[in-house]
Amino acid sequence: MMARFGAIVSSLWRRAGGRFSLVVLGLWVLVSLVSLVWTPQPLWRTDGYDVWAAPSAEHWLGTDGTGADIVSWLMAGSRTDLLIVILTVLFAGALGLLLIAAMTARNSVLANTSVVAVDALISVPTILIALILAVPLGASVAVIVVACGFGYGLNLARVARPQALLVARSAYVESAVSNGASGVRVLFGHIVPNILPVLLVQLSLSAGTAVLAESGLTYLGVGVPSGTPSWGHSLATTVRFITVYPLTVLWPGLVVTVVVVALNLFGDALRDAVDPVGNPALRRVAVEETEA
Amino acid sequence: MAVEISGLRIAIGGRDIVHGVDLSIGDGERVGLIGSSGSGKSMIARAMLGLLPVQAEASGSIRLDGTQVVGAPDRALADLRGRYTGMVFQNPAATLNPVLTVGRQVALPLRLHYDLSRAERAERVAAMLERVGLPADVASKYPHELSGGQRQRVGIAAALVTSPRLIVADEPTTALDSITQRQIVDLLVSLVDDAGASMLFITHDFSVLARATTRCAVLDAGRIVETGATADLLEHPADARTARLVDAARALALRPGGGDDGGSGGGDTAGDAAVEEKDMA
Repeated sequence: MMARFGAIVSSLWRRAGGRFSLVVLGLWVLVSLVSLVWTPQPLWRTDGYDVWAAPSAEHWLGTDGTGADIVSWLMAGSRTDLLIVILTVLFAGALGLLLIAAMTARNSVLANTSVVAVDALISVPTILIALILAVPLGASVAVIVVACGFGYGLNLARVARPQALLVARSAYVESAVSNGASGVRVLFGHIVPNILPVLLVQLSLSAGTAVLAESGLTYLGVGVPSGTPSWGHSLATTVRFITVYPLTVLWPGLVVTVVVVALNLFGDALRDAVDPVGNPALRRVAVEETEA
Repeated sequence: MAVEISGLRIAIGGRDIVHGVDLSIGDGERVGLIGSSGSGKSMIARAMLGLLPVQAEASGSIRLDGTQVVGAPDRALADLRGRYTGMVFQNPAATLNPVLTVGRQVALPLRLHYDLSRAERAERVAAMLERVGLPADVASKYPHELSGGQRQRVGIAAALVTSPRLIVADEPTTALDSITQRQIVDLLVSLVDDAGASMLFITHDFSVLARATTRCAVLDAGRIVETGATADLLEHPADARTARLVDAARALALRPGGGDDGGSGGGDTAGDAAVEEKDMA
């Protein structure tokens, strides 16, 4: 298991896109952890005489309209965004797999109903779901996670369905069932490994889109509540002054852009790296495991 | 494992595919089921393991050592499959999962039914691969790296790794070339006999059947039209439909009057020629 993990990471590292994404995502996780114990300036220190300050030794990226340190808020915001991305991907992945299981079920009533349900629900925009959820929940991380997870889960299921269906009706699944494999084992032992490329790319796209959605929804006032640091929050509080203080918008915008690009590249590189047939490093691990 | 099929009917979408088939397989006996395409052979094989498509309705009785299969709950059947029964499929290229190593696929029935350590499992897989005549390093290979004949050997290894009591072979040689066909049939027969298991061997090709089985049933449009010793049926087909199948096998043998001699050695070339001409689709 460890050998496999090592082989995947080193394959990622050998690809330019993979290396870039590993560095960016590694920094993201690192900064999130550091921000729990240290930020250059205390988060809540504001200085009314030092608003919209230019970058300086004291305020590395300057200050915003309340005089708060931008770099500190971006650092603290990275953990909120990390949490949102992880939860959204987990939620979308779980929902997607559940729907794929339903859509490829042998029971044709269940399969047909779930296909129609997915097709109908996918037409509801994520933003609308978020706005509806915000009524009972108020502005919160949960709104973003549920709305995005729901939307991306449906999308994942729909995109992966044709391939999942091919696997589910394949002779090797029939062979597995003739050996006594259960539905769950068919799903995780056969369908998931075969649709893994689609899953990884879709989920990494979802992760990137979740970061963008956090910014968008927070700007609309239904995302991260005010007072909670997040990249969207940093953007939302500064974007109205883009013509006056463009730098204050540039920093959070740059962070979001770099992270979203890294997440997309990560999905692509990961898809190649986890391919058990195409990746020679994994091939060697398989040989070693057999000989051990 | 003794199999007792009586009055088996299978209908799909209200249309009968199999009309009241009776067939028995004794313990340790190798029985053939032969018929042209669409005669319902595969449906009977699937019904025996409870693997019919959901649209299909089966009635009648199939007893495996007294255990009723028709209408049995899926959980009970799942416990039976792979442990007491093994199935070899027609197209070895399609019956192996492209993203799993051969070793994992052969180990699947062991994983499902037996609580073995990794090392024990690997040991049994290696022993099984050796018995089907594959080199040890095949375990770490992926299906696309093997030839058709090797893949079918893997399929046989997976079906037999748990030493099941009944093997259902659904046209296991149809997708193979003539030399490989003979090797695969001989391998299957020797493994099944060694294990003392029973086998239902399905084919549309008499020349293969003669090597693989001692007794056989001829299926036509969902009805069994003739049963008897395989050699007798080949020599003196009583039913016109059986005669047609035998004639077809002979006509394809390229040698007038050529056929198979039941596996005793002399008629091998004729038997091989018969299968060479077959549609490989």
